[in-house]
Amino acid sequence: MRDIREDIAWAKINQDVMKSLENPRKMYWVILFLALMAFGFGVGCEIYQYQTGMGVANLNNPQVWGLYIATFIFWIGMSHSGTLLSAILHLMHADWRKPIYRFAEAMTTFSLMTAGLFVMVHIGRLWMFYYALPYPNDRGIWPNFQSPLLWDAMAIFTYLSSSVLFLFVGMIPDLAIARDNMQPGWRQKLYTLLALGWEGTDRQWRNFRVTYLTIACFLIPLAVSVHSIVASDFAMSQQPGWHVTSFPPYFVAGALYSGCAAIITLFIILRYVFKFEEYMTKPILKKIVRLTFAIAMVWTYLNAVEFASVWYSHDGVSKDVLIQKMTGNYAPFWWGMIFCGSVVPLVFAFKRFQTNIPVLFATSLLLNLGMWLERWMIVAPTFSHGYYPWTWDHEQWPSMVQWGMVFGSFGWFTLLFLLFCKVFPSVSMYEVKEMVYHRTLHLKKSENAEQGAH
Amino acid sequence: MSKRHLLALYGNFEEAEAVVQELRNATIKGFDVNDDMIVKSPIEHPEVERFLGDKPVYVQWFTLIGALLGGIFGFFLISGAQANFYMQLKGGKPIVPFPPNFVLTYEMFILGGVFITILGFLICAGLPAKRSPLYSTKVSVDNIAILVEADESAISELKAIFTKHKALEIQEEAGK
Amino acid sequence: MSVSNLLENWAQVRHEHPNNDKPHDPYKWAMAIDLDACTGCNACSVACYAENNLPVVGREKFQHGQQMHWLRVERYWDEDGREFPDQGFQFLPMMCQQCEAAPCETVCPVAATNHTADGLNSQIYNRCIGSRYCSANCPFKVRYFNWYDYPTTDNVWPAEMQQQLNPDVSVRGKGVMEKCTFCVQRLSAAKVKAKGEGRIVAEGEVQTACQQACPTSAISFGNIVNPESRVHKQWAAQQVELAKDKQDKNEGEAPSELRGYRILEELRAYPSVMYLERVRESAV
Repeated sequence: MRDIREDIAWAKINQDVMKSLENPRKMYWVILFLALMAFGFGVGCEIYQYQTGMGVANLNNPQVWGLYIATFIFWIGMSHSGTLLSAILHLMHADWRKPIYRFAEAMTTFSLMTAGLFVMVHIGRLWMFYYALPYPNDRGIWPNFQSPLLWDAMAIFTYLSSSVLFLFVGMIPDLAIARDNMQPGWRQKLYTLLALGWEGTDRQWRNFRVTYLTIACFLIPLAVSVHSIVASDFAMSQQPGWHVTSFPPYFVAGALYSGCAAIITLFIILRYVFKFEEYMTKPILKKIVRLTFAIAMVWTYLNAVEFASVWYSHDGVSKDVLIQKMTGNYAPFWWGMIFCGSVVPLVFAFKRFQTNIPVLFATSLLLNLGMWLERWMIVAPTFSHGYYPWTWDHEQWPSMVQWGMVFGSFGWFTLLFLLFCKVFPSVSMYEVKEMVYHRTLHLKKSENAEQGAH
Repeated sequence: MSKRHLLALYGNFEEAEAVVQELRNATIKGFDVNDDMIVKSPIEHPEVERFLGDKPVYVQWFTLIGALLGGIFGFFLISGAQANFYMQLKGGKPIVPFPPNFVLTYEMFILGGVFITILGFLICAGLPAKRSPLYSTKVSVDNIAILVEADESAISELKAIFTKHKALEIQEEAGK
Repeated sequence: MSVSNLLENWAQVRHEHPNNDKPHDPYKWAMAIDLDACTGCNACSVACYAENNLPVVGREKFQHGQQMHWLRVERYWDEDGREFPDQGFQFLPMMCQQCEAAPCETVCPVAATNHTADGLNSQIYNRCIGSRYCSANCPFKVRYFNWYDYPTTDNVWPAEMQQQLNPDVSVRGKGVMEKCTFCVQRLSAAKVKAKGEGRIVAEGEVQTACQQACPTSAISFGNIVNPESRVHKQWAAQQVELAKDKQDKNEGEAPSELRGYRILEELRAYPSVMYLERVRESAV
C-alpha cells in the first residue's frame, strides 16, 4: 500500500492544512481549559513548595530525589521523537516522515520546555537557579563544569535552541504559504514577519536544502549526546543501581521509544481532529508502529543486559538493589514497567493491530506510562537501598505536591501543543507536495519501464 | 532605458525549463539571462537546480568555521573558568579534568555548528528578503514562476517567448 | 586572563589528589574514633547541635527522615543467635568523612562544595541552590538538607532560645545543604590566633565540639601532618594511610591491636576519619 495518493492536487494540500488553522471548535476550548486547570494546579503546588520548602514533597534523607527528576528525564526522553523523524529519517530518505515530522518537531520543542521547568522546581532555592549558568561576574565564580547536572543544563540549552531553530527554519516555506493564503489579520502579519520574505527562489531553495541536511547531521549526535548526558547524572555516580555503563544507550533507546509512542498518540489525535486522513495515512502509521516495535525490542534487550550484568557481577550491593526493585516496596511499579515496556508492545507484532486505531491509541498511552515508570524506578529504588545500612528500609512515597506538578507538566505540554496546532501548520505542506511529486515521478518511471519492456 | 519586471507563471516545470532554455539560447539585448532571471518554485525541485546549473552553496563553510570556533571557545571558556584564581579541588580530580571538558566541548562544538549554520543560511539565502516587485501567491500553491528584469525594449520579445510556452499568467510591472 | 592562568599552571591543574608526591602542608585535619571507648551517650551529637546551630525538627519530621543531626550515633547488633538480641549493641558516630576524593564535590552543579587546602570538604551555603546531587552521590549519606525554613518554623528555636545560637556559625534557611565541617569556625579562629603569633596551630589547641564533649575521649581530632598529634600516632599505629584505598597491614607483633579501618574504603573516597573497631565478645 502506498504511503500517499499521487493524485492529490497541491492546491488541495494547501487548503486542507490551512483549514486546520481556522477558528477552533468547541472541543478545543474545552481541552485547552482542562490543560490550563492542570497547569494551574501544578503552579499552585509549586508556589506552596517555593514558600514552605522542599519538605512538602515528602522527600527525606536519603531519598533526596523523587518524581521531579524522574519526570524531567521522561520529558527529555519524549523529545527525541522529533529528532528521530526529522533528522535520522531525513538522512535515510524515508519520505513517509514528511507528513508527520512537523508536529513531532513541535513535540520535541515543547517536551524540552517542560523538562526545563522540572529542573527549576526540583532545586531547593529556585530563585538562585541562575548560579548554574556560565556568566561572567566580578566575583569570577563559574559553575562546576565537572557536574553532570551542569552538563544537562548546557546540553538541554543546546538541544532546545537547536530544535527551535530547526523547527523554525524548516517551517519558513510553509509560513510563506500561510502568508500567501491567509486573510488579512494578526495571523497574516505574524506569518509575513516569520516567513522572512521567502519566495521560493532558486537561491533560497538551494541554501535551504543544504542547511536542512547539515543541521540534521548535527542534530543526531546532539540528541544522542543529550540523553547520554542525562543518563550520566546516574551513570557517573557511584551509587549501586546507577553506576551502570549501559545507561547512556539504555536511556537513548528509552527516549526513542517514548518519542515514538507519543508520535503514535498525537498522530491518531491530529488525524482525527483535523481530518488529515489523506496525509497521515494508515500505511505511514503502520511504519511508525513497526519502528516503535523495533525500538521496544531494543529497549527490552538493554534492560535485560542491565539485569544480566548485575546478576553476573560480584557486586553484592547492586544485586541487592535489583532484588529490592523486583520484590520490595516498588515491586508493583517495577513489574508494571516491565509489562508496559516489554509485553504490551508485542501487540504491534500482529498485523491485525498495526492499523487498528483504538488499539494503537491505548497501547501508545500504556507504552508511555511504562516509560515514565521506568524513569521513576531508576531514581527511587537506589535511594532506598544504597551502600550504607543506616539508610535502608525507609519507606517513602511522593506527596500530592509532587503528583500535582507531574500532572501540571502534562497540562503545560498540552497547552503549548494546542497553541501550536492552531497557529502554525501542523503538517508540512511543501514536503507533502514533494512526497506526492516523488510518487508521481516514481509511477511514471515504472510505467516507462513497463512500456520499455514491451 | 529603465528596467521593468515581468513575471510568468507555469503549471509544470517542463515548460518552465523550456522557457529557460530558450531564454539562454536567445540573446536578447537589454536582458542578461544569468543576472536578471529568478526562478521561483513551490517545492525544492532538484530538476530546477539541474537545468539552472550548479551554483556554489557556501553554507557548509559557515558550518565548519562555526563548529570549530564553538568547540575551541567552549574548551577554553570551561578550562579557563576552572583554572581561575581561587581554583579548588573537587573530588580529587584534576582542576582541569579532560572527561567532563570533553563532553562540554562536544556540546559547544555542536551548538556553534548549528547556530553558525543558521546564520550562514540566512546570509547565503539572503533572508530576511525584500519582497520582489512582482509576486504571485500561486507560487506557494503549485506554479513555477519566472521573474525577469529587462530593458523596455526587450519586454515584448520576452513576452512572446513566455506566451509561446503556454504561460498561465503574465504579470507586468506598471510603467514608470 | 583565565586562559593565561590556565596555561601557566598547567602542571598544577592536571594534578590528581590525594597524591603522595604533594602531601598536605602544614595542615590536614583528620579524626580517629575509638568505638571500643564509645558508650553511645550521644553527648557528641548534642554538642554538635549546640555548636553548629542545628535545628531540632521535631518527632514527626525526624521519623520521616528529615532530621538535621550532622553527627549521628548509629547502633549495630551482632547477629550471633544470643538469647536477648537487643543486648550489647555497638555504637558508631557517623559524620561527614571529609573525603580526600569526595564524590559529592564533583557533582555539585554550582561548585558549592569544594576541597580546602587543609583537607576539609567545604560547604558554601550562599552558593548552594539545593539540587541535592551531593547527597545523592554521598556513599555515607551524611549530608543533610534544609527541607523547611527552620529559623521561621515554630518550636525549633522558641523565644529566647535564639540567644544560645553560636554567632560564629550561620543559621541556614530553606533549600540549603549542610553537613559536619569539623567545626571549621573553631579551626579558623585557632589558625588566626596562631598566625598572629607566627606559628601553626599546636596539638590540643583546637578541639571539635564532639571531641570536647565526649566523656571517654573516644574522638581524637587534630592535624595529621604533625607527627606529635594524637591522631597522627593513632593512624600510624593502625597502619592506615590516607592516600591508599587498600591498606596492607603488617600484623606482626600484636594483631589484636590492629583495629583501625575506614568505612567503604573500596569506593576510593579516601575518608579522613578512621574508626577503631570495638573488641567484640565473640572475638576474644
